[in-house]
Amino acid sequence: MKVSLRRIAVLALVAACVAALAAAVAAARTTRSSADIRNGGTLTIGLAEEPDALDPTLARTFVGRIVFLAMCEKLYDLDSHLNIVPQLATALPQVSKDKLTYTIKVRKGVKFNDGTAFNAAAVKTTLERDLTLKGSVRASEISPIKSVDAPNATTVVLHLSSPYSPLTAQLADRAGMVLSPKALAAGGTFAQNPVCVGPFMYKDRVAGDHITLVKSPYYYDKAKVHLASIVYRIMTDPSSRTQALRAGDIQVEDRIQSTDVPTLQKDSTVTVKKAITIGYQGLTINIGNKNGLLKPYSNVGTDIARSQYIRTAFDAALDRTTINKVVFGGLNQPDCYPIAPVSPWYKPTTKGLACDLHANVNLAKQLVKASGIANPSVSLMLGGTDPVNARLGQVIQSMEDAVGIKVSVTPTQFTTALNRADAGTFDAFAVGWSGRVDPDGNIYGFVATPGTLNDSGFTNSKLDYILNGARKSLSTKSRTTLYRAAMQIIHRQRPLIYLYHPVNYYGVTKKVDGVQIYGDGLIRVNAAGYTK
Amino acid sequence: MGGFLLRKAGAALIVVFLSSIVVFIGIRALPGDPAVALGAENRDPAVMAAIRHSYGLDKPLPVQYVKWISKALRGDLGLDSRQLPVGHTIVTRLPITLELAFLAVLVGTSIGVLAGVIAAVRRGKLSDHSATATALVGLSVPHFWLGLMMIIVFAVDLHWLPASGYVSFRAHPLGNLEHLLMPALVLGTGLSAVLMRQTRSAMLNSLSADYVRTARAKGLSERMVVGKHALRNSLITVTTVIGLQLGALISGAVITEQIFVIPGFGRLTLDAVNERDYTLLQGVVLVAATGYVVVNLLVDVAYSLLNPRIRVSGASNQ
Amino acid sequence: MGFVDASSTLINPRARRRRLLRKRFLRRPLAIVGLVVALTFIVCAIFAPVIAPYSASATDFNALLAHSSRHHLLGTDELGRDVLSRILWGARASIEAGVFSTLLAMAVAVPIGIIAGYYRGWIDAVIARLTDVLLAFPFLVVAVGLAAILGPSLTNATIALGIGAAPALIRVARGEALALREEDYVRAAVANGASDVRILIRHVLPNMLSTLIVQATVAIPAAIIGEAVLSFLGLGVQPPTPSWGVMLADAQSYLSQAPRLAVYPGIAIFLCSLSFNLLGDGLRDILDPRTTR
Repeated sequence: MKVSLRRIAVLALVAACVAALAAAVAAARTTRSSADIRNGGTLTIGLAEEPDALDPTLARTFVGRIVFLAMCEKLYDLDSHLNIVPQLATALPQVSKDKLTYTIKVRKGVKFNDGTAFNAAAVKTTLERDLTLKGSVRASEISPIKSVDAPNATTVVLHLSSPYSPLTAQLADRAGMVLSPKALAAGGTFAQNPVCVGPFMYKDRVAGDHITLVKSPYYYDKAKVHLASIVYRIMTDPSSRTQALRAGDIQVEDRIQSTDVPTLQKDSTVTVKKAITIGYQGLTINIGNKNGLLKPYSNVGTDIARSQYIRTAFDAALDRTTINKVVFGGLNQPDCYPIAPVSPWYKPTTKGLACDLHANVNLAKQLVKASGIANPSVSLMLGGTDPVNARLGQVIQSMEDAVGIKVSVTPTQFTTALNRADAGTFDAFAVGWSGRVDPDGNIYGFVATPGTLNDSGFTNSKLDYILNGARKSLSTKSRTTLYRAAMQIIHRQRPLIYLYHPVNYYGVTKKVDGVQIYGDGLIRVNAAGYTK
Repeated sequence: MGGFLLRKAGAALIVVFLSSIVVFIGIRALPGDPAVALGAENRDPAVMAAIRHSYGLDKPLPVQYVKWISKALRGDLGLDSRQLPVGHTIVTRLPITLELAFLAVLVGTSIGVLAGVIAAVRRGKLSDHSATATALVGLSVPHFWLGLMMIIVFAVDLHWLPASGYVSFRAHPLGNLEHLLMPALVLGTGLSAVLMRQTRSAMLNSLSADYVRTARAKGLSERMVVGKHALRNSLITVTTVIGLQLGALISGAVITEQIFVIPGFGRLTLDAVNERDYTLLQGVVLVAATGYVVVNLLVDVAYSLLNPRIRVSGASNQ
Repeated sequence: MGFVDASSTLINPRARRRRLLRKRFLRRPLAIVGLVVALTFIVCAIFAPVIAPYSASATDFNALLAHSSRHHLLGTDELGRDVLSRILWGARASIEAGVFSTLLAMAVAVPIGIIAGYYRGWIDAVIARLTDVLLAFPFLVVAVGLAAILGPSLTNATIALGIGAAPALIRVARGEALALREEDYVRAAVANGASDVRILIRHVLPNMLSTLIVQATVAIPAAIIGEAVLSFLGLGVQPPTPSWGVMLADAQSYLSQAPRLAVYPGIAIFLCSLSFNLLGDGLRDILDPRTTR
């Protein structure tokens, strides 16, 4: 089968993105021979949030993916360099010339964790469920799939309605997890007894408390699995998570809060691992969201919406270094752009663009004066009522106060804040994005006129033209030029003011080895175990 | 007697029914669209519509209510945002809070009643004054702060007790008590203060009552007088107070569980509010309200058995 | 009550009673201490802008988590703000929530309770059931729910605390009215053809006042702690406005680094609610003849 140049370009692009990400996390990886690890034992992981439904078709949360990694294998996976590699498939898909047919070969002799056989028909059943189940979150991720065939036990053929280059990447996430047809046919709720192929299988779950997985007797590669069981404990309070790690109640801590990082780094029984994320935190400025998200945009007329001077002054008054120091103990990565420095796109797209990580109080004052607006005021909505958000709000307030911009802070429960953001009833909104590997995923939805996350109500025909062009183009060089131009427009107009890229810290007790954190921020424990 | 019971049970049913409506409407008055909460980073209008449909949020309110309540009557409280049965979640979380409440009552009564009796018997003496003062302090201390202070001292500094968390009694009896010791003390302090004051005044009343004087006149030892006659009568008051403190105990459990990260019923309630999980929240609050009404009904019945006059007047615990 | 001096028999009975009460009050040193401390907190609350050495929101990013010094008597917090100033300003939220929520609860509960107790019959039954419904939800759950529905703010927390405290007060007022309507002077007024409104305002209300005052002094410290709890949970006072509950919530992340940040606001809440409890105890002993010993 002939492989088209365009397909190579796409794959090269994906590979390029992930390869550089991997460099950032290479340091976090530990490579020790498995001879040092003994078999047996229970690993308890303190999760920062509660996973939602343990049903890959319906699952939406980030933490849910951590649990799935141990119990639901996918057609494709990421390796430590974040390259896409086959997992339940035996090779990357073979794509037809018109890019409308994907042929995927799957493993032989693999069993689901209920003992039934894994085969191409099971893949077909799962993908069809993803596409048709009521409330499926996967449907939109793989919507170009028109139909699925399983001509024999090891071959799956996907027919697409239009070319869709992110498909392989989607099959390396929840859409690629294959569910046991027997468990699906049994009726009842799949999430209450999820059965996939995986090194561990579901045992029980108490909502808000814990999820228990035990080693699977059916797993095809079980010689490499050391732990007897894994317990994921839901511990939303960060201080008690850290206390539990130090007390030995848990062996792995998901996302350590910044105030605890120095303490744990000094603790000789704990290793602190870090992963720079591909996401960002920033301030969404409501410029044109007068009638609600995706409704016709027109300027809302607040001080910060009508005057670009005020927006620029607002930005200039922010000292990103101090924000990072005071609010996050200096642990995050301050920046002015949506693409994270770990991304291969960062350097070429931001080359030569300005970013002052310190405040420029004089400039800000001059800009406020030049705006002609006396006593400008901004209401800042925080996406949470927790102390970290409160600190962020008050630091910003105090910085803006120094240049004559009066900021009132309204901490808002997260869901309510999202509702208000979509409705356009806010001036500025401190919110973040978990990030996507491709720059499009961090930009388009937020600032393009038809973007489904454009709470700013920003509309700029030149920017739309550039971003649409970058979506269609497959040349890395021309996309770099286009995104650079896009970022210049965003930085000048400031529908969003980017503050920093979050850096996640994880704690692992030294008694345990083989816990891996890649750039996607997920905790991988399949090969982990207690040291001898 | 039968008529009285029926009347009381009927009233309780009405209260539960009204509560279910209050719960249902109250939860829907919370700002924040549950579909947005369920969608996480997904806010594509098509995904939103699919989520609304699968949770029945696109149906008119009365339809949603009837669907919910008719299922609830059959013992099915629905599935929460994790696709887990709400009834099962409540059944697993409630015993934890009940255990905490039981230990707190144990702590509260043992300290409170003892201190109250001593204070009454040694009225006006130093031990009375110090017990009364301590009770006032116990009443004024914010319990969640007391919890924080105990964590600093006993967990962070001294490493005597675990700072937070919970292990079940069956899995690890000693660990279970270790984890619940501080929470039970924190929750029990307030109760013991109230109980001490009530016991003291009830004992003072009984000690001056005729039958106690008669007992004294008969030449019974002071220990017999206090222990057998006065205390036994005061205990009725004490039991009543514990019943009345039930609501305060549940409120206290919410914040205590928050501080000590105990996966009980109180934390479940707060989490459900924060996650805008309608099914979970309405199940939790309905069960709490029903439980409260049932306990009150039992208290009423117990009273009427103890004191027939109440049955006649129909008024209770005023 | 000992000797009655001749002059006091000459003035009207109300003034005489007042004198008597003052005398009884002055014999209770703890109640006096309570009154003085409570007044101190009220003064702090009113004059916080004048008394506090710094503005409550003035940050100093170069002096984070500073220990106590001449400049900052109680040190600074995680944003470099003066802790003493924040405690003083924080008294505002506590006193406001404590006093106004109690007033609100009274305003709601007393008329309803009186009507239920005085008229009895179906009105009483309806009110009793509605009160039962409200009481069926634990106080904190009601307050948390209301604060979440109304949106987090001091005003809404005050409303939530007021509504949360109302059902218990309705029961008290109802019980009092139920007892008072059987009193001779009320019966006499009814026989004389006085209007219901007149009877309720002239005869029933004044005679339950002492009970209500005692209830209020018990409700205020409960509301002060309630405000702290709501603010601690992020449902009350919103930053940058200081409140003791908010300060405790902020301090929770720094328990191992700067435990003192959690100590001071707690002591403030404790002293404030203790002072009202002392005052309440004193008043109960003086006003409520049933508990006089």
